[in-house]
Amino acid sequence: MPSSIIKTENLTKIYSGNIKAVDNVSFEVEEEEIYGFLGPNGAGKTTTILMLITLLKPTSGKATVCGFDIAKEQAKVRDCIGYVSQDTAVDENLTGKENLLLQGRFYHLPKDILEKRINEVLEMVDLADRANSLVSTYSGGMRKRLDIAEGLIHRPKVLFVDEPTLGLDIQTRHKIWEYIQRLRIESHMTIFLTTHYMDEADKLCDRIGIIDYGQIKVVGEPNELKNQIGGDIITLRFTNETGSHANQAVEEVKKLSSIENVVPTKDSFNVVAKDGETTVPKIFEVASKAGATIESISLKRPALDDVFMTYTGRELREETGSKDDLMRERIRMRRARM
Amino acid sequence: MSILGDTWNVCWRELKRFRRQPARILMSIVQPIIWLALLGNMMQAITPMLGPGIRSYLDYMAPGIVVMTTIFGGVFGGMSVVWDRRFGFLNKMLAAPISRSAIPIGKMIASSLISALQATLILCAAIVMGANVATGPLGAVAVILIALVLCLMLSGISLALGAVIKSHETLMVVMNFLTMPLMFTSNALFPKNLMPGWLQTIADWNPITHTIEPIRTITTNGWDWANILPNVAIIAVITLAVMAIATWVFRRSIS
Repeated sequence: MPSSIIKTENLTKIYSGNIKAVDNVSFEVEEEEIYGFLGPNGAGKTTTILMLITLLKPTSGKATVCGFDIAKEQAKVRDCIGYVSQDTAVDENLTGKENLLLQGRFYHLPKDILEKRINEVLEMVDLADRANSLVSTYSGGMRKRLDIAEGLIHRPKVLFVDEPTLGLDIQTRHKIWEYIQRLRIESHMTIFLTTHYMDEADKLCDRIGIIDYGQIKVVGEPNELKNQIGGDIITLRFTNETGSHANQAVEEVKKLSSIENVVPTKDSFNVVAKDGETTVPKIFEVASKAGATIESISLKRPALDDVFMTYTGRELREETGSKDDLMRERIRMRRARM
Repeated sequence: MSILGDTWNVCWRELKRFRRQPARILMSIVQPIIWLALLGNMMQAITPMLGPGIRSYLDYMAPGIVVMTTIFGGVFGGMSVVWDRRFGFLNKMLAAPISRSAIPIGKMIASSLISALQATLILCAAIVMGANVATGPLGAVAVILIALVLCLMLSGISLALGAVIKSHETLMVVMNFLTMPLMFTSNALFPKNLMPGWLQTIADWNPITHTIEPIRTITTNGWDWANILPNVAIIAVITLAVMAIATWVFRRSIS
């Protein structure tokens, strides 16, 4: 039976001003799995990581990492974890190699082992040929790769990765995903990551915890979560003129035998149906009987977006948060270059 | 002891970073050199009032300018904490199993070593301009060591503030607000016995005065231990206290 390498019980963090960033969160991460926290910005993902890596004291609740209590055995926790922050905290005024050297020394690696490890991780993230260049000459993707390499230098049992591809372009993101997957296969590491990108969670994680407003809404394997939705997703939008007839029509739709669930969204309805293809014509039928005119209708297999929607009642828009973050990132970069 | 190794690693990083920014070295010594050239000539007329052993105002002010250089350098001790916090590097260090105290101590030592280097360059410039060091090369080394102690004190103040303030703009303003008055209420550029009584009292309490006193004794008089030792003892005690407080404030700010 696989054992839990991370375990939290009612972990809670309340910031001053009575802001509940993390609200009674309990979960377990098994050895050698990639576990992802999926949620919008401000959902409490980073706060959870900061507590698990001993940088933030929980307001209440308990957690252990590698079997050590995060509040009482901080030094032991730090020894067995690696941390890659969303800030891409590499020192621009040092070379890639110097950054790794410094990181390795922070973990008290003996000199000969450190030399070997540096070459190893540089190979792994394809930065060997740029090892002796200043990081200020690196692109965003290269910096992130170096950052990840730094997290690996001491071969931690658990690697915490906060938003690994924040602000990176699509190609670079795919590259980073490859590295993370390779990492797991080659090093048998447990990886705890957070993301607000659906595709990232879907592609990388063995299990996902959906987190919103500091609470875990659901935990499961991506496929399992998608199957749990219980059918295909039909998105239904009525014309403006339909008005109150729409609600009547929806009531009728709900009565159809193949319908599992109907979730109203801002301007449309999400219908979960067992057999989407044959349900669509039936929906047309009952809608027109109820006097409602359908403006548009679409049918798709469930994706993680829909899982998120089902459990939180709102859409996880990738743009909203990441734009702010991108801006922040850009300001950071600009300042760093001054 | 891992704290020594950790401290050295933190310090090593700062020194490496500094080496990569030649503009910073250059800019930090240009201003004091201009002061030396301008004030050295401007104030020449008050030379007779400065006391025995002083041939020119340049002789008198050189210790003051050397100390001024270390004061300005000390400000960076805290700046680097603010930067590291903003860029996430601080969290990265804290997530590693390094001694928490090693971070502030390493930074204070690094910023002091950098300032000592700058002070050395300024002292050399002053000597080239004609300033006297009565005790020769050994005296020059002693001057730099005393300046180094003061710099540890100032980078300690800066670091403690940086740990609390968290914005580099505010920190810069606060440090300027502190350093300029510290400078001008000391005997750095103007003899204490010519000051009004109340200002003399302030100068007596100002640690800068107690740094300049022994330095000036060494450069203009000689090894007058009765003057050097008590003053050095005063600033050494204050510096140790400030460093301890700064370390405590830093540790509090991260927990």
